[in-house]
Amino acid sequence: MAIVVLEHVTKEYRLGDHMVRALDDVTLSIESGVFLAIAGPSGSGKSTLLNVIGCIDTPSSGRVVVAGHDISGQTPDQLASLRARTIGFIFQTFNLFPVLTAAENVEYPLLQMDELDREDRRERVQAMLELVQLGKFAKHRPNQLSGGQRQRVAIARALVTRPAIVLADEPTANLDHKTGEGILALMRDINRRYKTTFIFSTHDKKVIDAADRLIGVEDGSVRILGVRKEGQWAITNVARRPATHAETATP
Amino acid sequence: MLMRLMRREELRDLAERVSRVLGRDIQLGARNIIRQRRRSAIGFIAVTAGVVAMLLAAGFFEWNYDIMREGTIRARIGHIQVVRPGYLEAGAADPFRYIIPEKTEDRALIEAFPGVDGVAPRLNMSGLISVGESTVSFLGEGVDPVREKKLSGAVRMLEGTDLSTIDAKEVTLGEGLARSLELKVGSSAVLLVSTASGGVNAVEVTVVGIFSTITKAYDDFALRMPLKTAQTLLRVNGVHSWLVLLDKTSATESMVERMREKIQAKDIVLVPWYETAAADFYNKTVSLFSKQVLVVNFMIALIIILSISSTMMSNVRERLGEIGTCMALGDSRRTVLRRFLVEGAVLGFFGGVAGTIIGIALAQLISRVGIPMPPPPGMASSYIAGIKVTPGIAFNALLLAVLTAFIAGILPAWKACRMPIADALRHAR
Ligand SMILES: Nc1ncnc2c1ncn2[C@@H]1O[C@H](COP(=O)(O)OP(=O)(O)OP(=O)(O)O)[C@@H](O)[C@H]1O
Ligand SMILES: [Mg+2]
Repeated sequence: MAIVVLEHVTKEYRLGDHMVRALDDVTLSIESGVFLAIAGPSGSGKSTLLNVIGCIDTPSSGRVVVAGHDISGQTPDQLASLRARTIGFIFQTFNLFPVLTAAENVEYPLLQMDELDREDRRERVQAMLELVQLGKFAKHRPNQLSGGQRQRVAIARALVTRPAIVLADEPTANLDHKTGEGILALMRDINRRYKTTFIFSTHDKKVIDAADRLIGVEDGSVRILGVRKEGQWAITNVARRPATHAETATP
Repeated sequence: MLMRLMRREELRDLAERVSRVLGRDIQLGARNIIRQRRRSAIGFIAVTAGVVAMLLAAGFFEWNYDIMREGTIRARIGHIQVVRPGYLEAGAADPFRYIIPEKTEDRALIEAFPGVDGVAPRLNMSGLISVGESTVSFLGEGVDPVREKKLSGAVRMLEGTDLSTIDAKEVTLGEGLARSLELKVGSSAVLLVSTASGGVNAVEVTVVGIFSTITKAYDDFALRMPLKTAQTLLRVNGVHSWLVLLDKTSATESMVERMREKIQAKDIVLVPWYETAAADFYNKTVSLFSKQVLVVNFMIALIIILSISSTMMSNVRERLGEIGTCMALGDSRRTVLRRFLVEGAVLGFFGGVAGTIIGIALAQLISRVGIPMPPPPGMASSYIAGIKVTPGIAFNALLLAVLTAFIAGILPAWKACRMPIADALRHAR
C-alpha cells in the first residue's frame, strides 16, 4: 500500500527574474514500511522533495497524497495538524529547542494532543528516551549532550507521536562516521520493529547501503529507482521524462 | 440542572486548557528571555527605565496632590461638611437663613461613627476689621478651639498661640490680613458685622496669633475667633456647619453614603470635600496634571514599544530555525504568534517588576532627601516635596509595561508566524 503518492509534481522558485526548477515533473509512490534513501548531488532537489512530502512546502503543480490525505487545497492549519499526527521530522542540524531538557523536547509534539494527559505524556516520553538509550539523560539540556545524543533525542521526538512516516534530511551529515552508523542502525531497528516508514536524504554511499529502497534524483528529476533484495540492489533507470508511472514498488 | 453541571464542567475544562497552554507559553518565553540575556537586556532596560520614570513622575504629582488635598481638608473644610441644603452655594449672601443647631442627636451619631476623628462646629461671617485709621473686610470663622485642634493640622501658627477658650475675646489672623493691617500679636482690633435683625454689632478683640495655610487667597482675608464670641457678635444660637474629620481621606465617599442612611433630620445635607468650592482648585489641578502625566506615560510607552519591538525583531530573526522546527512539528501559525506575543509580554513583565522595585526604592530615597519647591501659584509658602508611589500608580505602570511590550511584539510575532516553513528551516544552524 502506498503511503506517499506524487503525481507530476513540479516545484519552481523565483530567483531574481528567472525561475529555478527544483523539482521537475516528479511522479512516484512510496510504500508503507520502507526504509528509503533519496540520493543525489548537491542542489539536485532532495530537500525540496522531502519538504513536499512532509507538507512543509507546497508544489507549484501536481498532486501530493500523504497517508491518504490529498494535500492540495488544504489550509496551513490543516497541514499543521496533518504533520503533527502523521509525520515525524529529523533534521541534519538536530534542531532541538535549546531551552528545553531532553525530556521536554521529546514531550513537545505531544502538547498539542489534547487527548493525552500529563501522565500519558510522561510515560510516552520515558519509553521513547529508553528506546534511544537516553533514559538517564532526561534532564539534560541539548548543550549538555553530544551530537549523537542530540540526534537520538531528535529521533525520540520524531517518534513520540507514533507517526506513519519519519522524514530525515541528511540525518547523519553532521555526525562522525561511527556515530552516524549508530543513528542509522537505530532508525533501521525502529523501522523493522514498528513498521514506521523512513524516508531520508543523503550523499553518503554507506548510508545508501543501509536502505532497502533508493530514489536517485538529479536536476530535479527522478533518475534511478532501486530495490534491495538479499543484499543486492536491483536498479531501474528512469527515462528523463517518464511517460509511464515510475514506482519503487516491490516486484 | 444536569445542563448547568455540564456547562460548568466544560468551562472548567476550557479554563484548564487555557491555563495549560498559557502556562507553557510563559515558561518557554521566560526561559528564552533568560537564555538570550544579552539581547533581552536592551528591551529589559528600556522597560525598567520607563517604569522608573513613570513611577517617579506620577509619584511626584501624587505627593503634591496629597499635600494640596490634605492641606485644604485639614485647614479649612474637613472631609465632610454638614449644612443646610443650599448653604454652600448661597450662604454667603444670606448667612442667617442657613443656621443649624450646634448639637443634635445626628451630630452625636456622626461623632460615634467608627473612622470619624472629630466633629467641629463652624459659624462663618463676613465683616469689617478696623485698627486705628484702617478698615478692611474679612472672612471670619467662629470655631471651637478644643475641637478645632484636630481639624487644623494644616494650619501653621507663625506667631503667638492658638485661640484659648470657647468664649475668649480673641482672634487669630491670616498672614496676609495681619500684614495689610500691620497687626502684631497682642494688639487689639474691632470687628464689625451686620446681625440677623439688620443692625450692626461690634466687638473688640485681642490678636493672639497669626497663621498661614497652603492657600494664599484664604490667608489674605481669614480670621478665626472662638465660637461663643462669634455667636454673641452675630446674635445667633446655632452654627453654619459641622466639619467632620475622618481618619482616612480615601474613605470619604463610603462614609458619606453610610452616614446619609443613618441621619434623621431632613433639612441637613452631607457634602463631601470634593464637592465643595474650596476643592475646586484641587480638582482642576489634578485633572490638569493628570493630563501631563498621561503625555509623559504616552512617550514612555512609545520608547518601550520601539525598543521591545527591535529586541523581538532580532529575536525572531535569530530564531528562524526554531520557528521552522516548531511549525514542522505541527504547531499552527496561531501557536507561533501566541508564543512570541507572550514572550514580549513576559519581557515587559520582568522589566516592569524590576522597574517597580527600583522606582519605589528611589522614590523613598528622594522623599527622604526632599525636593525643595517654590510656593506654587495660589499657595502661601514654599515646601519640601517628596514622591509618593501608591499601589494604584505601581499597578498602572506595571500594566502599561506588559501591555506595551505585548503590543510591541505584534509585528515581529506576525512576521514569525507568516514565515514559509521551508525558508525558516534553512536558517537552522
Ligand atoms: N527558497 C529557494 N529559493 C530559490 N531557490 C531554491 C530555494 N530552495 C531551493 N532552491 C533551489 O532548488 C534547487 C534544489 O535545492 P535543494 O535544497 O532541494 O537541493 P538538495 O538536493 O537538498 O541539495 P543539498 O544536497 O546541497 O542539500 C537548488 O538549485 C536550489 O538552489
Ligand atoms: Mg538539502
